[in-house]
Amino acid sequence: MPLIIDQQPVQQDSWTYLASEEGVAPDLSSVADSSDLLVDWSCFQQCKEQLLGRSGGLGVRIDGFANLDELSCDLDQLSLVAIEFPSFADGRGFSQARLLRDSLGFAGQIRAVGDVTWDRLRFMHRCGFDAMEVSEDRYSEDMLKAFGEIEVRLQGAADDPRPIYRQ
Amino acid sequence: MYLYNEREQQLIEQRVEQYRDQTRRYLAGEIPDEEFRILRLQNGLYIQRQAPMLRIAINYGLLSSRQMRALAQVSRDYDKNYAHFTTRQNVQLNWPELEKVPDILADLAKVQMHAIQTSGSCIRSVTSDHFAGIVAGEVEDPRPWSEIIRQWAALHPEFAYLPRKFKIAVSAAEEDRAATQVHDIGVHIVRNDQGEVGFEVLVGGGLGRTPVIGKQIRPFLEQQELLSYLEAILRVYNLHGRRDNKYKSRIKITVNAMGIDKFRELVEAEFERTRGGELRLPEAEIERVKAFFKAPDYEQFDGDDASYLSELEQDKDFAIWVERNSFAHKVPGYRAVTLALKALLKAPGDITDVQMDAVADLADKYSFGEVRSTHEQNLVLAHVKQSDLYSLWKALSELELARPVVGTLNDMICCPGLDFCSLANAETLGVAEQIQNRFDDLDYLYDLGEMKLKMSGCINACAHHHVGHIGILGVDKNGESYYQFTLGGSAAEDASLGKVLGKSIPKEQVAEMLEKILSVFVEQREEGERFIDTVRRVGNVPFKERVYATNH
Ligand code: SF4
Repeated sequence: MPLIIDQQPVQQDSWTYLASEEGVAPDLSSVADSSDLLVDWSCFQQCKEQLLGRSGGLGVRIDGFANLDELSCDLDQLSLVAIEFPSFADGRGFSQARLLRDSLGFAGQIRAVGDVTWDRLRFMHRCGFDAMEVSEDRYSEDMLKAFGEIEVRLQGAADDPRPIYRQ
Repeated sequence: MYLYNEREQQLIEQRVEQYRDQTRRYLAGEIPDEEFRILRLQNGLYIQRQAPMLRIAINYGLLSSRQMRALAQVSRDYDKNYAHFTTRQNVQLNWPELEKVPDILADLAKVQMHAIQTSGSCIRSVTSDHFAGIVAGEVEDPRPWSEIIRQWAALHPEFAYLPRKFKIAVSAAEEDRAATQVHDIGVHIVRNDQGEVGFEVLVGGGLGRTPVIGKQIRPFLEQQELLSYLEAILRVYNLHGRRDNKYKSRIKITVNAMGIDKFRELVEAEFERTRGGELRLPEAEIERVKAFFKAPDYEQFDGDDASYLSELEQDKDFAIWVERNSFAHKVPGYRAVTLALKALLKAPGDITDVQMDAVADLADKYSFGEVRSTHEQNLVLAHVKQSDLYSLWKALSELELARPVVGTLNDMICCPGLDFCSLANAETLGVAEQIQNRFDDLDYLYDLGEMKLKMSGCINACAHHHVGHIGILGVDKNGESYYQFTLGGSAAEDASLGKVLGKSIPKEQVAEMLEKILSVFVEQREEGERFIDTVRRVGNVPFKERVYATNH
């Protein structure tokens, strides 16, 4: 799937995603111990020890219902948090990203996945997402313009905490 | 009046171009319908029954004469030579073409107007008291604070996809003209025991399917932390508000389901974390915004103007208009004037391009070039010299903007209903007409005293019928428009929700029903009592007995 990192398209994604199926954790051995592995929240909870013992990078994928407090104590072990956008109308991920960055001080990659399209890229970026995964049929080079469509920021956010009156 | 600086101007211009590109991509088939629906709503564009409808923001109801002329111009260039003022102080064009909307917005941006967040599931434009800055006894002018909130809310990256629409109102006077108790957040500017000015914050009020009066979440909030606190409320709502059911997604439901104490706990925890941070308002910023709302250069008068007093003596019609349609100003020698957009046989809130241009000229001549729009779908010229009132009255009479009905039954609030709104269950405009025709005896209306009649064409309650002294709700019965009455609601400082009177009635009986209700009122009324107070005293029963009595 096309991937944008730091407002640029990247060709290589080092991460492999393994999803649980109906609550049953996937087979972790299918991914090399040294490669970067992204798992969902239920897998992370079930196989935490095993996951933390791997040598590759570890990422967790959460949805809008996730309680970030439960993630907070393991956050320094993670290099990636993927936040799922289930639909174009759902905006929980924006607040989750801000809490991760501003409140929990997470410095790793925050990746938007799911319903990720042109018209939300700029707000995602502003809220602390540095990576966006876009489905093939909605991707175009042109969409990178989204980041520059509006250059004025009235509010502080994760990209720049200063509201306009402090800039 | 607040003026955008270069960067704020750049923001609204870039927003127009962004929207132009969204429209282009939509028409090219690159954005699916459902997505474009959300995008266009965030920029004020509804698709109505007959045509798109564009809602343009008038922040806290304040307009310059220049902006008024621009509205007249766009209504000529792109619409059918009229516009419609709404209950949230905004203005709507009922017939724009979807393809032309970017051009309309570009024209409006030249006079610092826009349609940012006038609809959709985001923070809507902020409303306030239309007599802000001129009422005696106001703690502080609420407009600078409304503007500060507006700036924070405009294109806020975190809150553009909320569970549902989110409305904030600000008020600072004893009389609440902004309906703050039925908003998602109501901000009251108050003074505490130490004499400091800050905010009482209400949360979770609202109308619609489940009407609720807002609850106090914080009795006193320090001024500088206004935005940190609002952001904390919005963040909690954005994360916890329901998204699975449109009818349960407003913050009032979140607050009720969780309980106000639990909700407060979450908000306060978030606030504790962020207060004192970058969002804290520096004194200089508060002062900067306040400087835009300085009082105009009033002339000094000792007492009342002599010519005005004699005109009042000599011309009874003028005296009635002054009594009905003008309001005391805190500066001696001035009054605020309400322009009633309640012409006979026209939708409440409608105004033609010719009237708009004329109002702009009158504003320049008599009121420092400023016009205000009200929650009650009227306009206000806020600073008129007593000595100018007579000529202003003459001019307004010619424009048909001087009907002395403000505060009466005929000053009703009414949504567009079936004629224009795709969500409507019933007609409203024809019913408004029926009522106006039946109650055309002004003396009778005056005798009835203060009366707030509000009529919505469906349960979405855009005309706030639950908080009308008399509320009328249009419902659909097998394809026919029927009407349900509620009595005893109020949106003012004594806010309450009206109670349903009984079963709904067909369209042709509405005026008759009102007549019966009013006859009971006249019988039951104690000397000088307002309708709402009589209803509160005697309850719905006497009314019910009369209106539903079967003819033997
Ligand atoms: S109350 Fe219903 S009919 Fe009236 S404007 Fe609102 S949505 Fe439309």
